[in-house]
Amino acid sequence: MWATNLKVIGVVLGTLFVYTLICNKIPQMQSEVPQKITLGANATPDQIAAAGEKVFNGVGGCTACHGLGTRAPNLLTDEKGTGQIGVRCAKREPGKTCKQYLFESLDQPTAYVVSGYQPIMPRITKLVPADQAWALVAYLESQGGTIDVTGADLQAAAAAPAASGAAAGFAGGSTDPKALIKEAGCRNCHMLDGEGQTIAPDLTHVGSRRDAAAIRKKIVDPGSDVTKGFESFAGVMPKTFGTDMNAAQLDALAQFLAGHK
Amino acid sequence: MAPHHLLLSVVADSIRSYGEFPVVGARGAVWIAAQVHLMFAAFVLGVPMFAVVAEAIGIFAKDAKYDGLAKEFTRLLLVAYSATAIWGAILVFLLSTLYTRFWAYLTTVFGPSMWLYAGLFFFESFTLYLYYYGWGRWKYGRAKIVHWTLGILLNVWGTIVMLIANSWLTYMMTPPRDISSTTDPATIKLWHAISNATWMPINIHRLIANVVFGGAIAAAYASYRFLAAKTDEERAYYDWMGYVGNFIAMSALIVLPFAGYWLGREIYQYDQSMGITMMGGFMSWLWVIQAFLIAVLFLAGNYYLWIGMGRIPGAERFRPYIKYLLIVLVLGAMVWGTPHTMIADSKELAAMGGSHHPLLGALGVMSAKNTAVNLMILATFLSFLMYRRGNKEFTVPWAATGTKIQGAMFVVAAAIVLFYGIRGYFVEAIVRIGFSVYQVGAVLACILCVTVIDTMMARGARSVGEIQWGKMPARSQYALFILAVTFTWLMGLMGFARSGIRQYWHVWQVMEDTSKYAATPALGYASRMISLCVLIFLSLVAFVFWLGGLAEKSTFVASGKEGQNVGH
Repeated sequence: MWATNLKVIGVVLGTLFVYTLICNKIPQMQSEVPQKITLGANATPDQIAAAGEKVFNGVGGCTACHGLGTRAPNLLTDEKGTGQIGVRCAKREPGKTCKQYLFESLDQPTAYVVSGYQPIMPRITKLVPADQAWALVAYLESQGGTIDVTGADLQAAAAAPAASGAAAGFAGGSTDPKALIKEAGCRNCHMLDGEGQTIAPDLTHVGSRRDAAAIRKKIVDPGSDVTKGFESFAGVMPKTFGTDMNAAQLDALAQFLAGHK
Repeated sequence: MAPHHLLLSVVADSIRSYGEFPVVGARGAVWIAAQVHLMFAAFVLGVPMFAVVAEAIGIFAKDAKYDGLAKEFTRLLLVAYSATAIWGAILVFLLSTLYTRFWAYLTTVFGPSMWLYAGLFFFESFTLYLYYYGWGRWKYGRAKIVHWTLGILLNVWGTIVMLIANSWLTYMMTPPRDISSTTDPATIKLWHAISNATWMPINIHRLIANVVFGGAIAAAYASYRFLAAKTDEERAYYDWMGYVGNFIAMSALIVLPFAGYWLGREIYQYDQSMGITMMGGFMSWLWVIQAFLIAVLFLAGNYYLWIGMGRIPGAERFRPYIKYLLIVLVLGAMVWGTPHTMIADSKELAAMGGSHHPLLGALGVMSAKNTAVNLMILATFLSFLMYRRGNKEFTVPWAATGTKIQGAMFVVAAAIVLFYGIRGYFVEAIVRIGFSVYQVGAVLACILCVTVIDTMMARGARSVGEIQWGKMPARSQYALFILAVTFTWLMGLMGFARSGIRQYWHVWQVMEDTSKYAATPALGYASRMISLCVLIFLSLVAFVFWLGGLAEKSTFVASGKEGQNVGH
């Protein structure tokens, strides 16, 4: 009987040992707690970019998608012949500098979804403080471009977070339906007035199918019903618009869409 | 500020927020207490489910063997209940002394549900005592039905207890969106906190997982009793018990991924950054380890079935097919374990020559993995079907046609799985996600339809010979031990994943962890903690089973001996 007992103990311990060994042999990654940036107004561009690199590889969670080639555009390496992000950022949106474009992309990621990718990026300014977001911008600029984020930018962001887009609210608090549609990235999935994608129902005549109350309900709770023919895409629409937009914005958007008969 | 909130703030300011624990630290102490408590809890919630089913089979099929099995399962529960309560109490004391501020917050939100929890545990314990100790007394006629009802009641209490505890931990993961760090916890409505986004998916996932876990541990218990058996009769009984335990575990395991998929989807919908952290962030390697563990489960489970065919007269005709099933399982496991979304820095990207490994990149995507796992499920089901048919010769006139139809169903299901797996490479991710539904649907439909046809064909089937229970080589029983250890380890790993995605938050984006243990550890450290917890749990379970053996002789009943004493 002792031989059996020893064999059983050997099998149990051996199995545990193998599993533990494998887990200790693979790359070890710990999820760090975000650290405060302690850079002064005289911080050099390289210092700011180095702080941004920590955010990029750590709490920002950027590496979970960027660099894998399928979920999001490459940032540190070439993206389909357009170069690294520091090279192409100034050319992405006419009239916007690289610095403006990058920060807005972090603050309102659905506003500038690169063609061929899904609007899955979370709002980085909700995950990290604004000064860390600016440091991240500096790091992205350093990838083939010129860093023009300064220590003063970081200090201003840290001192006055209310001035950032995140604190001002969705679309800067605007109740202009067109601004809301752009910021929410509705056309990344829906067609509206001849523009947009066909992943989700066409909204051009949505007012003939739903009244304003029903449209509002659908925005706040996208899973409340599913349009026929789009069952396989059920659950794709973000549930966060109801909390991102305030009541006045939701009403303005619902009324605007209800007018599309 | 509300007076209650003010009081909490004063308490938080005047007493320490965090305590310290020797050797393993505060986080380690709570980790061990919570994990071992959960393992015992899963066991005492899972086992009553199939104990009550086994008793029902005993009653309605008038088979005393099942009644004996149900009683033996229940006997395992008695001491396990005490261990669950002891570890629960240890957890509460550790939380209240080591995580004072967090515990104060949680009790403020969930206080009344904690009182209900304690009351239900009381009812549950006494229902169990009645159920077990009343087995001999309420054995006949209506009294037996009343006894069986007690078993159902035991499950009801246990399930409600689990639902309550689940609400606390899911609130920590997915607190309702209108609750923020400035919300006074005393103003949060209890039901609002309970019915959070992941509560129901976790409830369903745990309910199924408990059955898997209970079955695996009961099978390991039976395998030990088999190895220690002194008579052929006892060996035959525990061989059968081990088979039943393993069958329950593997059957429930096949359904578990669907509950897991629902849970993952709810996490993504609640907060994409949390979902991305879970699947593609610092936890990405965890899923490769999970794939490896599930591959071990598939291989060990099939190996047990294949060896088991040796004790079934007539099953030797299926032996030539086993090597093909093994090839499917091994290839499937290799594809499923291929890494894809690994975090890589720019140097590693340059070393690979791109964002993916040139050779393995194509196999690491979900299209390949979903195809692999679905084919593995089909192969496992085919193993079971051969096992089931081993000693049967169908006598219905349409047996040959029925078998051809079954074969065609397997081919069609595999073809659908392969078609959508390949097509997944040529469509966008949003479309590809939907393909997994068709693949799973094809496999489930095949399992369902083939089982129905097989059951109909088995009517009046001629037996080539009785299954020779007990005629199993010892190595088959060690496969059951590996299954039990792997299920337990997997449970610890997935617990780490679920809890770890909160990262440095006690309550996600509501209450921050400001202790020195706030960083979420890497998988190496986590694996050492999981192994330690598994070792503690299995050692205690062995002690519990030994105690059970001291208290009462084995309840095994030779088939048919007491059949007339059970049921109406």
